[in-house]
Amino acid sequence: MPSVIIDKDRCKGCELCVYACPEDVLAMSDEINAKGYFVPIVAHPENCTGCRYCLLVCPDVAIQVENKGKVTKPPESLTGKPFSYCPGCTHGVIHRLIAEVMDELGIQERTVGIAPVGCSVLAYEFFACDMQEASHGRAMAVATGIKRGRPDLTVFTYQGDGDLASIGMAETVHAANRGEKITVIFVNNAIYGMTGGQMAPTTLPGQVASTCPTGRDVTLTGYPIRVVELLKSLRTPAYLARVTVTDPKNVLAAKKAIRKAFKYQLEGTCFSLVEVLSTCPIGWGETPHDACGWLQENMVPYYPLGEVKVPEEATVQAGS
Amino acid sequence: MAKKLMKGCEAIGEAAIHAGCRLFFGYPITPQNEIPEYMSARLPQVGGTFVQAESEVAASNMLYGAAGAGCRVFTSSSSPGISLMQEGLSYIAAAELPVVVVNIMRGGPGLGGILPSQSDYFQATKGGGHGDYRLLVLAPSTVQEAADLVIDAFDLADEYRNPVMILGDGLIGQMMEPVEFKKEIKPEDLPEKPWATTGRAGRQQNIINSLYLDPEQLEAHNWDLHRKYQRMAKEVRYEAFNTDGGCDVLIVAYGTVARITKTAIDMAREKGLKIGLFRPITLYPYPTEALVQTAEGAKSVLVSELSTGQMVEDVRAAIAGRRPVGFYGRVGGMVMGPDELVEQAEKLVAVHV
Repeated sequence: MPSVIIDKDRCKGCELCVYACPEDVLAMSDEINAKGYFVPIVAHPENCTGCRYCLLVCPDVAIQVENKGKVTKPPESLTGKPFSYCPGCTHGVIHRLIAEVMDELGIQERTVGIAPVGCSVLAYEFFACDMQEASHGRAMAVATGIKRGRPDLTVFTYQGDGDLASIGMAETVHAANRGEKITVIFVNNAIYGMTGGQMAPTTLPGQVASTCPTGRDVTLTGYPIRVVELLKSLRTPAYLARVTVTDPKNVLAAKKAIRKAFKYQLEGTCFSLVEVLSTCPIGWGETPHDACGWLQENMVPYYPLGEVKVPEEATVQAGS
Repeated sequence: MAKKLMKGCEAIGEAAIHAGCRLFFGYPITPQNEIPEYMSARLPQVGGTFVQAESEVAASNMLYGAAGAGCRVFTSSSSPGISLMQEGLSYIAAAELPVVVVNIMRGGPGLGGILPSQSDYFQATKGGGHGDYRLLVLAPSTVQEAADLVIDAFDLADEYRNPVMILGDGLIGQMMEPVEFKKEIKPEDLPEKPWATTGRAGRQQNIINSLYLDPEQLEAHNWDLHRKYQRMAKEVRYEAFNTDGGCDVLIVAYGTVARITKTAIDMAREKGLKIGLFRPITLYPYPTEALVQTAEGAKSVLVSELSTGQMVEDVRAAIAGRRPVGFYGRVGGMVMGPDELVEQAEKLVAVHV
């Protein structure tokens, strides 16, 4: 019988696994772990089908699943250090997906990751490959420097919306336009998380943030920037996709896109960027589960999911 | 290798290639455009890479990435562009990455002008960006010296894991002189950089970083950097010219102004006035001790710069009142003639000697 193994010390009690389980295997308990969080328990082990939905949505790599004598393992491309993200923040899911892709492609020993400034500023502590910490917004310039100097390395950046779409917009547009053979993971949570919830270039119209306390007024601040659509307008071939990680199905789709983005780099094809719509439960003032719902209801309509540009299109567009 | 007539900017570019550098990131700005132009043509011929960045801000961060990945790398710019690079330079200094930066100074502040200046002395020698750090700063006064110092700059950068700046002015960059490249380093012969992010195969993870959230760690890091800058003191270089047996006026000048001083020395000699020249070649570390010793044989000291008075502060601190220290500067792209220096020296003598 499959079973769910919960690492209670890593757990932040976000409840996302409980909501994700289609068979009510998991439930929250009254038990408080060393960090002070209520942790879930396996309430109905007999119901478990081994679907791994709980593992897929867990932002803290706190769940493993045993099935037919095999136990899932955390990806080797993570250091194992507990993430510094808030409970229920989906940064952790995105970290895990990148690490899984690195493992599966066998590239950890030839990869250099670039951490940004923002919530994921400490990403260099979590990824087990070589890492560089960039100044705010310049991750793609740093990546350009590495990749042009050492084209044999696989280079990825991990950037938030303020980093990539505000202060680093010039670096973003020009790295994409030069067709740098790098992979960019763009985490869009429509807010500045680390600095305390200020307006981001991707904050939705009317959305409240600490520097637009009455809601984003588009007559004064313009509309939220759709990064992948903006980059699509560049003629240089690229792989551009938007995904989210709010639920197991989307987590799998996100991983597929991230994997593709790395593969295009490994093949030397093009610049690749995957925008991941991510939650900020604290910044949005929602529970982790409600934040996922808020994202689906509000962000997805404005930021449609899917592949926005694939390099194969370039041949079609070449004559235009 | 035979001597070749080259423009200063081109000689700087060729010297970088002789130093085994195969990477250039930069953004055009007058009066140093010949450097990126030269590199864009030359680097592909030797298997190197030239990237015209979208800005100096981006260029300085490309340098960070490439240096962090263990590559010899350099950039060049001029005053306003160097200001934009300060972000990258602060991070590069903090993360202790070896890079070479060429500043062919033009008149400022602001957009200023495009003619020669030495008004970035403070910025170059006192840090430049935020935080407690220093660049190693080399100031050539001939095209040959520019080429020599560029090659040395790469080695010094690697030795100290620190950014090194070549501080020239528009005259050094634009004039033509015969130049000879005295050594050629092959990139494959350069020593390994075990700290670089080159993929972690066979070793522990390497991280290039400047973030220290723990104040005790950050303090320790700052003092470590400070001690490194103190160790750099042994790299001081200078030229003392016409100072044997003492002099009436010791002119302290670097770069282009030092060349002009040499002509002034000849002109003064005819008038029976002995001018000596003290020319710092390293502006950081500053050759303070050598200056003090040289000034002991001088009756007075005259600092001359293409600024309203920047290096003069370091000279006054070194001389510490033991000799009268005068100052003569021209700015905005105006350059003094040797006759002006002689006149200033005569005035100093009339007042103090």
